[in-house]
Amino acid sequence: MRLLVRVAVVTAAVAAPMVLGLVALDALSRHRAAEVALAGIATDRMARPGARARCEADPEAWGAEVPRPTGPRASVERPPEPRTPPPGPRGAPPRFTPYTAALAPSRRGATNIAKLVQDDLRNAQWTPVDRDLLDAEVRVAVRMPWAEGPCAVILVEGSTTPGFLGAFLPASEVWLAPLVAVLLTVLIALVPVVRRLERLIAAVEASAAGGFVAPPEVAGHDEVAALSRAFTAASAEVGRQLAARDDRERALREFLSNTTHDVMLPLTVLMQHLAVARAGLEDDAPLRAPVVGAIDEAHYIAALIQNLSAVARLDVVEPRLELGPVDLNAVVDRVVARHRAMAVERGVELVSGVPEAPVLVDADLTFIEQAVSNVVYNAIHYNRVDGHVAVVLDRTSPGFLLRVLDDGPGIPGAELHRLVERGFRGNAARGRGTSGHGLGLHITHTVAKLHGFGLEFENRPEGGLQVSLHGPAAV
Amino acid sequence: MPKVLLIEDDRELGGQITTTLEGAGFEVTWWTEGKVPDPEGLDLVIVDLMLPGMYGLDILKALRAESDLPVLVLSARTDTSDKIRALKLGADDYLTKPFWPDELVERAKARLRRPFLARSEELEVGPLKVHLDDHRVTLHGRPLDLTPTERALLTALARRRGAAVTRGALVDALDAQHDGAERNLDVHISRLRKKLGDPALVETVWGVGYRLAVKSPA
Repeated sequence: MRLLVRVAVVTAAVAAPMVLGLVALDALSRHRAAEVALAGIATDRMARPGARARCEADPEAWGAEVPRPTGPRASVERPPEPRTPPPGPRGAPPRFTPYTAALAPSRRGATNIAKLVQDDLRNAQWTPVDRDLLDAEVRVAVRMPWAEGPCAVILVEGSTTPGFLGAFLPASEVWLAPLVAVLLTVLIALVPVVRRLERLIAAVEASAAGGFVAPPEVAGHDEVAALSRAFTAASAEVGRQLAARDDRERALREFLSNTTHDVMLPLTVLMQHLAVARAGLEDDAPLRAPVVGAIDEAHYIAALIQNLSAVARLDVVEPRLELGPVDLNAVVDRVVARHRAMAVERGVELVSGVPEAPVLVDADLTFIEQAVSNVVYNAIHYNRVDGHVAVVLDRTSPGFLLRVLDDGPGIPGAELHRLVERGFRGNAARGRGTSGHGLGLHITHTVAKLHGFGLEFENRPEGGLQVSLHGPAAV
Repeated sequence: MPKVLLIEDDRELGGQITTTLEGAGFEVTWWTEGKVPDPEGLDLVIVDLMLPGMYGLDILKALRAESDLPVLVLSARTDTSDKIRALKLGADDYLTKPFWPDELVERAKARLRRPFLARSEELEVGPLKVHLDDHRVTLHGRPLDLTPTERALLTALARRRGAAVTRGALVDALDAQHDGAERNLDVHISRLRKKLGDPALVETVWGVGYRLAVKSPA
């Protein structure tokens, strides 16, 4: 819930029972005050000279309007001084009804109050007849100092109607105005605070979006400004940590880049030597097996180094692609040329087919070549003598479909979806090679994902594996 | 004999490449320092990127200003930016270290191969001639009676002589003849082979599709 709405709801929730309580308390006080006043009025009236005689002479007629109370009398409990009635409409004057000491009405048609007050009146000089203290109608039974005759108990009736009697609240509801004003003031005063908080939220969000470079500052001297300074300090620390992380990543990347660069040259020289050595050996020469083995390992090391370089660029929080138009025909040609020697050595036929016109895609040249290279490497590496590997590039209506097919052992169905997991080694038949470290196909998968290309692995019905890479053509 | 200029500062690798290329029938001149060559009399330049004297890309830039001599760039860097810059500056191809001698030879030969003039009016593959203007096909000079579908297939294969044409591309060629079901492809190829009289003239390429044999079968 929004802060301002919440404050309004809470304020209303607190104020409403408070107002109701005040009104109820005021009504109660009015009632009590009216009871005391009416008892006093009755006692006063009967204490006047000849009052008792007039009442007893004609109880039926006695009880006409009497003057307003003028003050307490010593003969009764002194009621609290009623407030001066405000000008304006006044309540009806009190009405008197005489009763005998046994509480029998002395006037025809009068209400029977015996059951209501006889117990209370035995111990007190007067008692309220009704128990509903919030009611505006007030009835009090007053016992006279004598116990004989038709006027031993006087029932006096009146009301708490505004003007006649009052408690602590003004008769007019104008007293509600300050309360409402206070509540509104609270809400209005909160608006700028909420606005400042909203500004702080926006500043913190903008700062986070910008990598915590710009501090989330909100000017001022209040708690919101203090909070913004705390955020600024926190974002500075986050910025420092991020910068340190970036520095570490950069250093690691540079180290890997320099190391692989330094290894590339001697490895190229080594590979030329091995190729020359292999060319000079007859098929039945005793040195053939170790030289071919060394060539195989050189292939592996070369692929591994290329993959390590790729990982150095891919294993960052946000891998950066250097996108540009890439000629997939040329990529296929290069990858096939790269693996030709390896395929020949293993007795695997490596073939390729590409469309006549170059298929251009928007991609990172190095990554896409490495991704295809890893699939082709695996297809050759896990094949058998007289096996086949085909790299087929076709133009499709949305873009391209690049397939690498082999007639090797394939992959158990249950392991197909795990091929791209980093570190997945698969079954014994595919235990070594670039995927021996679970790097090769994981890189292919990551590269496809970063480019938004699809990558699928499936066992061919004829046997062997088909890896498909597909995506849109360059715009 | 094609003349190649190799610019590679590493003496060991430069020597090996020279030997490899000479063994593959190239005439090699080898420089160990970076400077701009005179394209006159050269068929191909193979240039390393990191060179003393002049950076490989600068050599490429200077060379491109006056010549379209094929240039193959050698790089030990795995960054994409170097390759993109090299290609943008007009390099024809690049080769990332480490590489095998055969790989280098294949890339070098690919650069020297003259682009096949597929737009010419006559496609000639061995004993076969496909006349694009009047759709005539002759084998050893004798006209062949082919259906439009077979002629479309043969033309698609002849345009890419020596290269495998994918089944997808051949089906696309059939599509133009409203006969584009893939299962029909093998039937049409089989009929075409019969009409050509020599099944070896249209080779099946495993996993890819078909290829028109460049050399005339005996």
